[in-house]
Amino acid sequence: MADYLSCTERETKEMLERIGVKSLDDLFEDIPADLKLKKLNLPAGKSQQETMEYMTELSKKNKVFDIILRGAGSYDHYIPSMVKNLSSRSEFITAYTPYQAEMSQGILQAIFEYQSMICDLTGLDVSNASVYNGANAAAEAMLMCLERNRKTLVTFDNIRPDTLKVLKTYASRRGITVKVLSCKDGVADLALLKKELCETTAGVYIEQPNYFGLIEDAEEIGKLAHEAQAKFVMGCNPIALGLLKSPAECGADIAVGDAQPLGLPMAFGGPYVGFMACTSKEMRKLPGRIVGETTDHDGNRAYVLTLQAREQHIRREKAFSNICSNQAYCALVASMYLSAMGPVGLKEVAEACTDYAHYFAGLLEKEGLGRKHKGEFFHEFVTESEIPADKILRALEREGILGGLKLNAHEILWCTTETLKKEDLDRAAEIIRRVK
Amino acid sequence: MKVLYRESHEWVAIDGKKAKVGISDHAQKELGDLVFINLPEVGAEVKAGETLCDVESVKAVSDLYAPVTGKVVAVNEELEGAPELINQDAMKAWICEIEVESVPDDLMDEEAYKKFIKG
Amino acid sequence: MKLIFEISEEGKRCATIRKPQIKSAKLNEKYLRKTELDLPEVSEVDFSRHYTALSRRAFGVDNGFYPLGSCTMKYNPKINEEVAGLEGFTRIHPLQSEKTVQGCMEVMHTLSSYLAEITGMDAVTLQPNAGAHGEYTGLCLIAAYHAARKDFKRTKVIVPDSAHGTNPASAVMAGFEIINVPSDEEKGVDLEALKKVVGDDTAALMLTNPTTLGLFEKNIKEISKIIHKAGGLLYYDGANLNAVMGVVRPGDMGFDVVHLNLHKTFSTPHGGGGPGSGPVGCKKELAAFLPDPRVEKTDKGYKFVESKQSIGKVASFYGNFGVYVRALAYIVALGAEGIKAAAQHAVLNANYLKVNIEDLYPTEKGRHCMHEFVVSMQELKDKTGVSAMEIAKTMIDRGYHPPTMYFPLIIHEALMFEPTETETKQTLDEVIKALREIYEEAFKDPEYMKSAPHHAQIGRPDEVKAARTPVVRYQK
Repeated sequence: MADYLSCTERETKEMLERIGVKSLDDLFEDIPADLKLKKLNLPAGKSQQETMEYMTELSKKNKVFDIILRGAGSYDHYIPSMVKNLSSRSEFITAYTPYQAEMSQGILQAIFEYQSMICDLTGLDVSNASVYNGANAAAEAMLMCLERNRKTLVTFDNIRPDTLKVLKTYASRRGITVKVLSCKDGVADLALLKKELCETTAGVYIEQPNYFGLIEDAEEIGKLAHEAQAKFVMGCNPIALGLLKSPAECGADIAVGDAQPLGLPMAFGGPYVGFMACTSKEMRKLPGRIVGETTDHDGNRAYVLTLQAREQHIRREKAFSNICSNQAYCALVASMYLSAMGPVGLKEVAEACTDYAHYFAGLLEKEGLGRKHKGEFFHEFVTESEIPADKILRALEREGILGGLKLNAHEILWCTTETLKKEDLDRAAEIIRRVK
Repeated sequence: MKVLYRESHEWVAIDGKKAKVGISDHAQKELGDLVFINLPEVGAEVKAGETLCDVESVKAVSDLYAPVTGKVVAVNEELEGAPELINQDAMKAWICEIEVESVPDDLMDEEAYKKFIKG
Repeated sequence: MKLIFEISEEGKRCATIRKPQIKSAKLNEKYLRKTELDLPEVSEVDFSRHYTALSRRAFGVDNGFYPLGSCTMKYNPKINEEVAGLEGFTRIHPLQSEKTVQGCMEVMHTLSSYLAEITGMDAVTLQPNAGAHGEYTGLCLIAAYHAARKDFKRTKVIVPDSAHGTNPASAVMAGFEIINVPSDEEKGVDLEALKKVVGDDTAALMLTNPTTLGLFEKNIKEISKIIHKAGGLLYYDGANLNAVMGVVRPGDMGFDVVHLNLHKTFSTPHGGGGPGSGPVGCKKELAAFLPDPRVEKTDKGYKFVESKQSIGKVASFYGNFGVYVRALAYIVALGAEGIKAAAQHAVLNANYLKVNIEDLYPTEKGRHCMHEFVVSMQELKDKTGVSAMEIAKTMIDRGYHPPTMYFPLIIHEALMFEPTETETKQTLDEVIKALREIYEEAFKDPEYMKSAPHHAQIGRPDEVKAARTPVVRYQK
């Protein structure tokens, strides 16, 4: 049994004596006796070696695919070794929120650098220190849009299903309406949007690229939102921002997204990290921690948690958000990834993703899996075919390839990243050819 | 024009139908360095004794209460980028102007307020 | 030290990827970015030195004593990091078919059932990403429970004045109004005041037990009766579970809903502020409302199931899975006995620290504390002008992380110490000596302490300047 205690029996006895009690149990005398538990019904503890064996066994009950053609909110990208190595330093891992600036400049500076990189990617003025994940970032952005007489968020049915579900949960308890409009050929229907926007619209939320991988005409959507005096919120894939117009260039007031593609493993869905950035006009409504630059009493540059009076620990029930913990460690990894890749590397990754996707879409079309939508796409796309999706995906799975995500009986959402080789895609197409 | 105070340390300078509102020098000292003033909305109807807006110091938020009932007709936008004006001269740095509907009778004149803060 | 942007040189490269074998995409110009990215351009050696330097300016549990009250900064076992990094956990796509992720689902199911046992609850969701997120989820469950019974007038959540700030903030996000109740002389909930505010509009009372003062709420049975008699539910903020796990269970105390913090109680690292994980447990009457999806064990293996009455999703996919792996490894290693021993030693360490300083650092008298205790430095401040903050800053000069300052709000000049069970007696003895010396110093040279720290990475930062004229990003 491991217990991570470092107190010998003799020391325990000495300590109890100093406190003036006979046993450990005496310390719990405030707890009513009839409430006390006899014994937890849990297995006996394991040695370190047994724990390792047990956990390794569990991990082996999962299937690791060599080739992954699935995205839909979780992306398999190359993680540079320096990112893995340097981020695993225990000073980073075992620190907590940098409440004491004088001994936490490293964490604070890392967050400041992260914020700066998110501002650079999105083109916006202010970023927070991160929130839980992309879906929660969208929900927090929705709350930022609210005004006294504007309580409706307008979006389309082409955003990630998880994001929509989280938006609806957060809306339901606050009297917010989430209006989900039908997309047209996979992208936002601008005419419909224009018709639906009104004086009660708080914000418009779209994703770029959207769930089907299509590139939205974000600038036009932003213009329509602003004509109705609503806020424009863009959910973005950060890798795509290496190539696509920034949210600021599209007129967004708030940009959010999940930074998982920036160096974080898929890890069965988490931990990931939600990023949030906004214009300086919206800064005071931005939830969560924010690091700011200042000076110490000798005039040296220093970093601190700032604008704290927005937050729950001070504002309590009047805070805009209840968020306290963020995903600082994941944000550190994301900023390391961006430093390791640099502007050129990020663009190369984005180009490789989209190049492979276009190449693979061409291969699939030849096999009778035509694209469902006409619009331009980044690194994900939907195919439709006569052959049942299940049959295709099973055939790929047998060969160690995780195919796209089945959307319905005949439609599949595919994704490619720079982890793939041309041969992998050729092979996948070849396997599909044999399914008929 | 007369200046009156609330027990919650707001001052109000009433001039006919209009009244300017701020916080007292005593309150300013207690709050310490102010870093942000959440100004009320122009057009908002406020009731005496209800929350008017709030002011932030580094580690605290304090609500300000409306000393009179009426409608906010102007706010001191200068404070938006320079909350320190309140620390520099609290009696001069008005926060908003209210078109007065009614004045409650629990306000104190300067002498009574001075006595009140001495406790 | 320099920002990474300040060591950037145009043209430098660090990580590189395979040269693309094909060039087939031609995206419309109108979609492409016009502004150049200004990300850092560094070499690998620049990169390694920069982040090593940053890590040396960070302070974690591995660096030293970290008694940050309410945050449970216990040791983070190394084996947990290793198992969480196994390829069979990291390279798993969240939308793989169920039969290919049975191991992940077993991790979730096993952890949930262990947490249910530890808390005395009937069902557990792991989905919330942190404590506050768990609070929000738990309160949504409570709202759904009352609504399902057509009991629509329950719009108020009662929160003690000693509660964590997240409690009222979460309740507002979940659509409730807040009623604050004061503490009594023993710093527990004032029962008379509570009786006055409960009624047919009470949705729930949120309670931390042990309270934020590190004291066990002795009247818990009475409180439970008052709330349940009024038709409300009792919510357990699990921030302080480390004091009592294996000793007493929230479910047996009368709580209906509980959230835990895996990053506090179950040894998963705090990572500079996250990721956390805030599982929520509840009694069977509320289980149908838990977030979708939940893992169920069947004869054919583990399955994801959804409930028609679910409050929906509160996070993407299944929450912070990597954190579950670490927490499970911890519970498996400790087992029933180890879990209880951890709580006992957390309480032992806190009491040992307390009895050795309480003549100088006054705290609640005549009672044993639980895993943490709160001292008030008001008297010292009145005598010397040295505040709780200055004590904290002086601790930094001596290489210790300070305790939590100025919380709970009901104690003036508060310092909240939580040594946790993993701290050694030797360390505690050193800290005791240091704290006693610091107290003396406040009389000898208060002025010196008022400008502490003197030997830290920086001197005291100008927080007023930071907030008045926010600089929140690097700009050339």
